Amino acid sequence: MKQIVIIGDSAAGVAAVEAIRKKDKESKIVVLSDENFPSYCRCVISDFLAGKVTEDKLIYRSNEFFKENNVELKLSTKAIKVDPKKNRVVAEDISDNKAEDKKARSAKLQFDYDTLLLATGASPKFPDLKGIQKKGVFGFRTIQDTKDILQFVTMADTACVLGGGLIGLKAAYGLKKRGLDVKVIIRSPNVLSQVTDKTSAELIQKRLSENGIEILTGRDVSEILGNGDIKAVKLDNNKVIACQIVIAAKGVRPNTEIISETEIKVNEGICVDEYMKTSIPNIYAAGDVAETFDVTLNKPSVNALWPHAVDQGKISGANISGDSIKYEGSLGMNSVEFFDLPLVSMGIYKESQNHEALSKIYNNDYKKVVIEGNRLVGAVLVGNINHSGVFLKLIRDKIDISQIKDRLLNENFGFADIMDLTQGVERTYV
Amino acid sequence: MKKIYFDVEKCLGCRSCELACAVSHSAAKELEKMISDKDKSLPRIKINFSKDKNYPMSCRHCKDPKCVSACMAGAISKDEKTGQILYDEKKCVGCWMCVMVCPYGAIRPNKKVKIPVRCDLCTDIGEPQCVKGCPVKAIVWADETEVDTIKK
Repeated sequence: MKQIVIIGDSAAGVAAVEAIRKKDKESKIVVLSDENFPSYCRCVISDFLAGKVTEDKLIYRSNEFFKENNVELKLSTKAIKVDPKKNRVVAEDISDNKAEDKKARSAKLQFDYDTLLLATGASPKFPDLKGIQKKGVFGFRTIQDTKDILQFVTMADTACVLGGGLIGLKAAYGLKKRGLDVKVIIRSPNVLSQVTDKTSAELIQKRLSENGIEILTGRDVSEILGNGDIKAVKLDNNKVIACQIVIAAKGVRPNTEIISETEIKVNEGICVDEYMKTSIPNIYAAGDVAETFDVTLNKPSVNALWPHAVDQGKISGANISGDSIKYEGSLGMNSVEFFDLPLVSMGIYKESQNHEALSKIYNNDYKKVVIEGNRLVGAVLVGNINHSGVFLKLIRDKIDISQIKDRLLNENFGFADIMDLTQGVERTYV
Repeated sequence: MKKIYFDVEKCLGCRSCELACAVSHSAAKELEKMISDKDKSLPRIKINFSKDKNYPMSCRHCKDPKCVSACMAGAISKDEKTGQILYDEKKCVGCWMCVMVCPYGAIRPNKKVKIPVRCDLCTDIGEPQCVKGCPVKAIVWADETEVDTIKK
């Protein structure tokens, strides 16, 4: 019987628990979470902010799940240090009733492990700005962030969102639905510059603007103004925008602090091999904190995305229980919809000299594929996103597309067009 | 588990399966009455027309389902006993992650009501209605082990 400690109870942590328990009912599993909610659907907090779903609908795995799987779930327990020499995690209780009681807080908790899984996730990056610490500046990552924002929403009429990535736009969307004036301030020339190409980004941007979200591109905030509470933000052209809420959505950074004193190799995220193992053999990493091999970029990269976190968690869990399963690698892939306009973007969306790009646009329907040699390495779809998973299959399996290249942009391009080229698919046709 | 398989040689592309599916998933459950339903019922099965042939397609209820991992709302799960992929409409937020990862293109967005359209094997009725609706028996409802025998 082993003792397994998992830091993080979100997508990767939960998937690991499920994979371990499929094979191993005996080992003791302890899951630590620095949040005060049962495992929840992090990506759905924007719908919670928008008022589209209630808090109870966010639950991903309830406390019963952990009980049924004989897992000791420690909420409000923040891991602060990993000691690989002693095989020990040091943590502290950060629950509300302990927060004021310094003595209780400083009483450190210790968790010994035989195997450790680091599924610590990521945290919002706050820009180094004058006034960033003021009341009313929020990250947008957790249920607690959302609840804090909602408390301010009733007293606010305008919100400024710093950053036009997915998180920024989702926050803007949620706040708009709550009836606020929303301004998104973006340094890049267009929204979603880290997610999709210019043409598709412009379609999304147009749709957001048409629905009352103001987007200022090529601008940065230089200062957040106000005494205590926020009164306004000052832009780099000295223009001042009055607002009461600021959302910092300048990307996220992997939570690697707890291993900073160890020898575990960290690049942007925690480096893992194809078995999801870190540079220390009994320590694994998975999810938003892990840096895995990107199959389209052909190099290690942090692709902090829910589906990857689940897959990586599943593989770590299986390997922790004795399997030797290889992770097939990650890639950037996003699906999002704003005001009835869906967007799917995967792999390499901006072509370089090595690539050939084919695209087609009619009204709000846009389709683009990026080809490298005889392989598909990226695709973007706006409007009609049917069959987008077929492109993902072509990218992931590195399928030679030379025979079907002329059909890729067809409206009805689908599985039937690629079935002769694929292997390892479920039987469909008799 | 019993799954739906398609015989491309037999399929005429008449879309009777699509109609049977839409009727069976409509509120009215009858073709004549379904037409006046407020939210139009969409077929979970669709025929892809490619290379002069007709390829019906619906959820494969995969052994290793990509949609289950991808569902960030926890709305899609696999019933380990039956092998069927289950979908909880109440949890779905219409993010289309499942559409993005389905290698078969077997899940489509219902853009109006913001939920994906996917085959539930007509569990409530007991038998997939596309199978009954096909006039040329191009849709087979069988265990995978039986499929080859049936073809002969």
